Formats: sequence, C-alpha cells, structure tokens
Amino acid sequence: MILGKGVHFLTRTLNIGGGSAAPGYYALKIDPDLVVHLASQIPCTIIITGTNGKTTTARMLAQFAKESGLKVIRNHTGSNLERGIASALLSHFPLLTSHLPDLAIWELDEAAFNKVIPKLKPDMIVFLNAFRDQLDRYGEVDSVVKKWCQTLKVVDPKTSIFINGDDHNLLALKDCFKGSVQTFGLESNKITGERATMQNKTHKLDFEARNIKLNGLTGSSFLLQTTNYKLQTTLPVPGIYHVYNFLAAYILAKKLDISDEYILNSLKTFQPAFGRVEKFDFGYIFLIKNPTGATQVLQTLAPELKSNDRLLLALNDNLADGTDVSWIWDIDFEQCKVQPFGFAQGESAKCKVFVSGTRAEDMALRLKYADIDPKQIAIENNLERAFEEARIGLKGRLFILPTYTALLELQRLLTKRGLKKHYWKEAT
Amino acid sequence: MKLVIGYLYPDLMNIYGDTGNIIALKKRAEWRGIEVEIKNISIGDRLKPRDADIFFFGGGQDMAQGLVASDLVKSDKGKMIRQEIERGVPLLSICGGYQLLGDYYGPHEGSKLPGVGLFPAYTIASYDRMIGNIVVESEFGKLVGFENHSGKTHLKKGAHALGKVLQGFGNNGEDALEGCIYNATRYKKRRDEIASDYKNAIGTYMHGSLLPKNPKLADWLLQKALAIKYGKEIQLKPLDDALEEKARQAAIAKFC
Repeated sequence: MILGKGVHFLTRTLNIGGGSAAPGYYALKIDPDLVVHLASQIPCTIIITGTNGKTTTARMLAQFAKESGLKVIRNHTGSNLERGIASALLSHFPLLTSHLPDLAIWELDEAAFNKVIPKLKPDMIVFLNAFRDQLDRYGEVDSVVKKWCQTLKVVDPKTSIFINGDDHNLLALKDCFKGSVQTFGLESNKITGERATMQNKTHKLDFEARNIKLNGLTGSSFLLQTTNYKLQTTLPVPGIYHVYNFLAAYILAKKLDISDEYILNSLKTFQPAFGRVEKFDFGYIFLIKNPTGATQVLQTLAPELKSNDRLLLALNDNLADGTDVSWIWDIDFEQCKVQPFGFAQGESAKCKVFVSGTRAEDMALRLKYADIDPKQIAIENNLERAFEEARIGLKGRLFILPTYTALLELQRLLTKRGLKKHYWKEAT
Repeated sequence: MKLVIGYLYPDLMNIYGDTGNIIALKKRAEWRGIEVEIKNISIGDRLKPRDADIFFFGGGQDMAQGLVASDLVKSDKGKMIRQEIERGVPLLSICGGYQLLGDYYGPHEGSKLPGVGLFPAYTIASYDRMIGNIVVESEFGKLVGFENHSGKTHLKKGAHALGKVLQGFGNNGEDALEGCIYNATRYKKRRDEIASDYKNAIGTYMHGSLLPKNPKLADWLLQKALAIKYGKEIQLKPLDDALEEKARQAAIAKFC
C-alpha cells in the first residue's frame, strides 16, 4: 500500500497522468487481493454499472451523500476498471481506521463488473442500461446481459438491486437474482434500449418520472412518483438521459436514508462530470461514445443550435474509443431535422461544422450522408489545430462532441491554455 | 424512376452499423433523382416476387441470428430470396446475413444450422475472434471496412470470392479470400436459366459501414437494380465523390 501511494505521488508529480489507474495497476501486481482487503473495511458499498451514465450517476450520488455529511470514496475520474478502484483506495484510504469512509461508490464498466462483484460484496447495485458499445471490446449486448445474469445469480439475496425498467434488455435480470429488485424509469420519452422485439406489456415502475419538461440546455423538471409519495424535481443538466441518471442516484440516496431536502439542495449546485455536458466560456463539451448516447446528445443539442454556433466532432479509433467506427452510422443524425443538419424549413444550413480526430474523414462522410453540405464541413485531423480553427471568428457557441480519447486530449489542450483545471484537481 | 430496397430483418440484424449501407444506397439514388422506398422485411412478413429491387441483409447478435435462420426457412422467404437473386436482383449481405445465405453454419456443439443455400459456402464456428480493419483487392477496386466475427467461412469449389485480403482476416483468416459473389450460371446450371452471367449477390464480412466509403460498389448495386427492373442498361449520373474517396484513401493508408 505504501508503494502504491508512492507511485500515485510520482505519476501526479511528474504530470504523466491523473494518477487514476497507474498506482492501482502496480499495487495489484504486488498484492492481487488489495481491493478485497481495503474495500471490505468500508461499511457500505454501492456499484453503478451500465453502458452510459455511470460517471454522472456516481457523481450525483456522491454529492447527495456528502451534503448529508457522509464520507465518500469513489473511483471518480472515469477510470472504472479494477485498478481504478485499487488506485482510489490507495490514494484516499486513511492510515487510521477511525477515519474510514462511510460509503464507497464504484462505477464499473460492463466487463469489470463480473470480475469485481464477487470480491466487493456490494450492498447495492444499480443497472443503468445496456446499449451496444464498442463491440470489438465488450461484445454484443445479449452476451453482456447474459454475463451480468450469471454474476447476479451468486450475489447475496439481501443486496438491494435497482434496474432501469425502461431498458428491455435489463428486465431479464430480475429473474437472475434471488432477492427483490426495484425498477425506475420514465412515464414518456422512454429510452427503451436495444431489444428489437418490443414487449407489449407495460412494466410497472417503482420510481417514475412524470410530466417531464425539457428546458433546452439548462435542464429539465419533472414529478418524481414513487409507490407512496411525489416529489417535484428540477434537474440542472439537460437531456432525457440525465433524468435516468438522477433517478438512479436518487433511489440509492433514499436507500441510504438521505433526506429529500439534502438531495434537492445539492442538486442546485450540481456540475456534470468531466466532458459530460461540461460548460466553458466558448461553449460546451458533450462526450459521445456509442450510438444511443450520441443520438441522445444530438436530440438535446439540435433544437438549441443557432446559425452562428459551431460544431466540432472529434472521432478517434483508439482502443478506448473502439477501433470500429461503424457505430457512427447508427447515430440518428437524420432524426435531428434542424440546423445545422440542413433541414431548417427551407433555409440552407449555415452553422459550420468541424471534424477532427484519427477518423475525421469518416465523420465528415457520415455528415454528408445526413445531408450536410460538404462545403460546410472542415476536416482537420489534428485536434489542437481543429480547436483553434473552430474558435477563429466564433460569434456564437462552440459545441464539441469528442469520443473518449479525444476528450482526454481536449482536457490536456484546455489545461495548457488555462481554460480548465487538471481533472484530478477538480473538486469531487 | 423508383427503387425499392428490401431491408431484411432490420430490427434483428442491424447491430454493427450496417444501416449505413441503406443510407448510402438511398442517398446515392436520390442525388440522381431516383425515388427510393425502404421496405422492411422481418419475422412474420411475407415476401413476394418483385417486392424489392435490391436486398440488404446485415449482421446481428447470435440469439437474433437463430430466430432469423428459422424464419428464413419456415416462412419460405429464403426460397423467395433465392428465386429473386436468380432473376438478377442484386443483394448485399454482411457478416451474419452472409453466413445465413450460405449452405450451412456449423456451431461448436449440436447439429448444423441449414442456410438458404445461395452462396456456395459454409461457415464453421471457431474460438478465434477475427476483429479489425480490413482492406480487400476486388473488381470494385480496393474495398475497406471493419470485420468482427468468429465464424470461419469456406468457399466451395467454383465459388467466386469478392476479393483478396490485403489486410485483415477475411472469410476465415486462412486462405486470404474475402466474401463471395454469387455466380448464377457457373454455380448451379439450371435447365431454363437465362444464359447471361449474373453475379449480383454479394456476401462479405465488411462492416464500416461498407458502402459509404466504397461508392463504386454502391453504384454497381444500384445500376444492377435499375437494369433488372427496367430491362435496360441505365447509366448513373456521376456524383462528386471527393469526400468518399478521401475517406477511403485515408483508411487504406492507415491500415494497409
């Protein structure tokens, strides 16, 4: 553990990374049971998994918990593999047991979940969704859900399990778990997920968001209906997908006995995580990782775009992005029939689009086939140059939609220019 | 002019971004003033002769593929597709679609899953996952795409490959061949078959999506469809493919 702390200090001091995974990597090499040793001393463990929304949900829940006075530990920089957890434990674990955190919030990706769950023995698990994502890495949705099912079969029946009841694929998990399962979802505007053969039965939800009103980029409001009470909620982050993230965080917080007062209070100051609808002086950054998430982002964004706004789409095909770029053809650009997508009531699109990244040409082509005039599209593979060009003469806002490694690159660029703090220095 | 694209099992066989091929066919026809209708054909639907002028059949998840395989046989759609292909209707099938149109699929355990028997090819399950960018030399020039499969497809004697693998695995990672172009006259000589050498059905492992970055192949499918539907050769108006070519060349340069 001392060694791990040393590596952690070194990587941060030498500025070769946020120090979010390297110490854990080395520590796990030395002591493979490290996660078990340390994690088992924390009184309550919560696991958040799913394709999209893990980081935002974890961040929201952590904020609710802190507001209510709980001490929280989590793998908070999107480093959600086993070694990310080990690193978080190493850097934040107190040397005195009297200073132990009350609560651990771990976000786990689709694959790490099955590996880590038996070791962590969580008190609560929430499944956010199962969308197709990086098929070259995670495999098909059916096989992801099947493996989750197998893992759930051996989870202690006393564990509290929460499932997004609108995602048809996830409903199958109810039968895999011996204990009881609660569901959450939306009354309308449901994101139903990948299952093609729709189930006709409408599923009764335990926590439901009703009368949802979307207020552009500023957020949304809705009535949260549970089995025995109602709560009017205002969410300061935009998009339907964030309503799901909030519901998940809310349910977990209630299970922790955090009062609505703390929750609603801390929501007011909630800031989205690292590139998830992150606001800057020049505009916004929306991370895009997979077709469902990207389509959701576009649906949120499209009605807000004005003709002097600009878009910068950065598509990389590194391992962490997925090496297959086919998924961009499943993003529903066609559905966003507003500027700059060329359909605005006979008016030709004016909003300029920049594409960048290792597969910028593929993204440009995708836009061409969504009826954006190629003359409107500027291709610049180098993200730094693309970012500079996109800001020259910018009168409106710049919306940047990067894939994961492009987002990391952007963070470095913004830090270099003093537009952003090191992400690991951000307040958690 | 109007073309109907028959999209086979779009709800079940669409997981690898193959919808981009439909988008490419539709747009490239519309940019030339040809009206396009997309007809979704799935489980329970009936398929009649001349329902579609082009067929597209994408890749799906394993479970979906089982459902589709049995529907193709039970509903006679498989037979109808074959009959239409013999008439010269063009088809593009990718990954799972390609496998299901072959002779059979041999899983790790259990009995062979019979295919539609269009392509003179069979597929055997393997424990290797063949994933990555792929570049193929073909009569349509260099084709570029992305493959992700564990089934190994072997062409039978007399079958024509779509092309030769320059980068990647292709049909099976062993014989450097990729895909199959069905050749009606040479594969199954039928008594009353038209003598002409139709080669209008293509099976391949290339996602990407394939057609947007390989517009020559997209136009070939459109041209074949028009020729069969209207009974004469129709020249397609040339399009400005500078961006398509740029994307294709960038991918080839990166991976080959």
